Amino acid sequence: MREEKASEGRKEEIQKRIDESKKIVRQAFEKFKPSEAAITWTGGKDSTTNLWIIRQVCLEDNIELPHIITIDEGDAFTEITDFLIRISKKWNIDLMWLCNFDVLRASMSKLGSTVKVKDLNERNQAEIKRIGFEEDSFTFEAESYTGNHLMKTVVLNQFMEENNIKALFMAVRWDEHPARKDDKYFTKKEGGHLTPEHTRVAPILHFTERDIWDNIKLHSLPYCSLYEIGYRSLGVRTTSNPMEVGVPAWQQDLENTIERAGRRQDKEKAMGRLRKLGYM
Amino acid sequence: MKNVILFTIDTLRKDVLGCYGNKNKLTPFIDSLQERCIKFTNMQATGPYTQASFPGILTSSYYLEYGREKKLSPKKTLVSEVLKKSGITTAGFHSNPYVSDYFGWNRGWDVFYDSMEAEVSQEVPYIKGDEINKKVDEWLSSYIKGGEYKPFFLWLHYMDVHEPYVPERKYVDMVDPSIDLSKEDMFDLFKNTLLKRDPSDKGKVELLKKLYFAHVREVDSYVEEFFNILKKLDLLENSVIVMSSDHGDEFGEHGGLSHDGKMYSELINVPFLIFDYAKDKGEVCDALVSNIDIPPTIVHLFGLEPEKNFKGYSVLPLKDYSERGCFGEAMDKRSAHEKETDRPIYYYQKKELKIIYREGMDSWEVYDLEKDSQELNNIAGISPKADEMKKALKPRVGRWLRGE
Repeated sequence: MREEKASEGRKEEIQKRIDESKKIVRQAFEKFKPSEAAITWTGGKDSTTNLWIIRQVCLEDNIELPHIITIDEGDAFTEITDFLIRISKKWNIDLMWLCNFDVLRASMSKLGSTVKVKDLNERNQAEIKRIGFEEDSFTFEAESYTGNHLMKTVVLNQFMEENNIKALFMAVRWDEHPARKDDKYFTKKEGGHLTPEHTRVAPILHFTERDIWDNIKLHSLPYCSLYEIGYRSLGVRTTSNPMEVGVPAWQQDLENTIERAGRRQDKEKAMGRLRKLGYM
Repeated sequence: MKNVILFTIDTLRKDVLGCYGNKNKLTPFIDSLQERCIKFTNMQATGPYTQASFPGILTSSYYLEYGREKKLSPKKTLVSEVLKKSGITTAGFHSNPYVSDYFGWNRGWDVFYDSMEAEVSQEVPYIKGDEINKKVDEWLSSYIKGGEYKPFFLWLHYMDVHEPYVPERKYVDMVDPSIDLSKEDMFDLFKNTLLKRDPSDKGKVELLKKLYFAHVREVDSYVEEFFNILKKLDLLENSVIVMSSDHGDEFGEHGGLSHDGKMYSELINVPFLIFDYAKDKGEVCDALVSNIDIPPTIVHLFGLEPEKNFKGYSVLPLKDYSERGCFGEAMDKRSAHEKETDRPIYYYQKKELKIIYREGMDSWEVYDLEKDSQELNNIAGISPKADEMKKALKPRVGRWLRGE
């Protein structure tokens, strides 16, 4: 089992990581007003760390906190929901809960149920058309392509449009997936078919999974209880699994195992690609 | 021992390549390689779309061998698995979801990049060839650093000629500068004509074909870029490069668009080139070969014993290859959507004769490719050889249900 107390050298390293992140956050605030920015917070370890760092910068520099949003895809862990509510109160955060209620209504909030496209509102119908989906109905699942698009992408786009958001703080990290290794701290997303133009800011890009946990322990950050029972990466309930049941995330072999192995994300990605290529 | 590179391009029709007779100058670079290539003029894919064809290219087996599987059966052997076991380093780079990690194609690779985590747009829903090149360059550079390295097997696959056909302006201009379409127009053409499989408007079909040509022109530049990377790293002379495509694409030849469950030449007859720098003269091989022969050929190039689980045979050395006829199977789908009720379609080709059987309709077609290369004149009812051809194909029919 891993030693949980961080050495002095390690503490310094972590502080360096945090300082680096704060620099990015300050650069972002030079370009964007807080009212034009939003922080995405899922309740996971990364986005909680991300929020904690941005909040510190705001307190230190006396800047107003940007919008803080969380997206309910209709398949959330109650542990995460509880965590979000508890920490919002503790940190005095006005958390915005985004949800595509129209889809929830049409599916009667039941995962696996069939949703008829004609039962949806105009906007959702238009979105479905725009992604090239041409069937009359689809299965309501957060990981299905249509489900994911409506419950996550559409909701986020709508929020950005309505609030004139120019910058989104996100908690992606280089080491969470090989595909991330070329990511930049600032990525401009062209406005297009489906997304309003905006810039994505990734202040904790350089944190490793180990850095995240060492920082959480070092500064006593709160974390969701699911990590205690073996989850390493949290998505929606149906598709996330613990990696090593009963072994807290920070005690697992972070360096030699795959963080996202407990998540069936590949299916969602592969299906999304197939649909864009004209299949399915 | 030389390294082997398998270089596949999705949806690339044979007849768009200059070296196979196309006059539109779409592939000047590939054409320029012919002096050092063996060009196969008669290579048949095992199926008309990725899931049906890649079992041939990477596992030397047929699509429905173990039923209608969504993920690659553990009973199939990937060429990467065979090579890795023999101490050869294996690396694959591509952007096709049907051969991704999720569908089980990541077995046997030391390095496997399928790009599924990368963000892509509606108009270009894959990682482009130049990005694939960049990844390959990075990997190769670090792999050979220091000078001494184990031989490697590298597979790279481009998606750039696959629909939705929204090519960059500069490639459109190279094909036909008079085409005046915005990216939105091109995307609309994809949605309203191609996705609906509606070839009724000949003008639109022509336009789609030209956009496809523009992508072919684009892909040729990525091929050139890749060869330049090999040159830069001093790898061109000590690598054999096997080039092919998984299937072609239809532009109304048999009443449809794209690549659904049909077994005609525009989808099945694919390019196949083996580039070897040591050659000083181009060679042409007219033998009827199948893409199930690709894995055994790769194994042969590494000097290894043939793999028992492979259904094909090495095409090298050319003089030892004997024709056995080509076979293929897929689901007989007539749209982009595969339905549970779809039934298989099979083909078998022997010399110039080809037979096609649609299980759902219990219908037979026979074509004499020598006299009727477009496969428009079904001679199943009159050909004296039809019975013999049926007999050869019948044992395959229904196997997918029996799970043999």
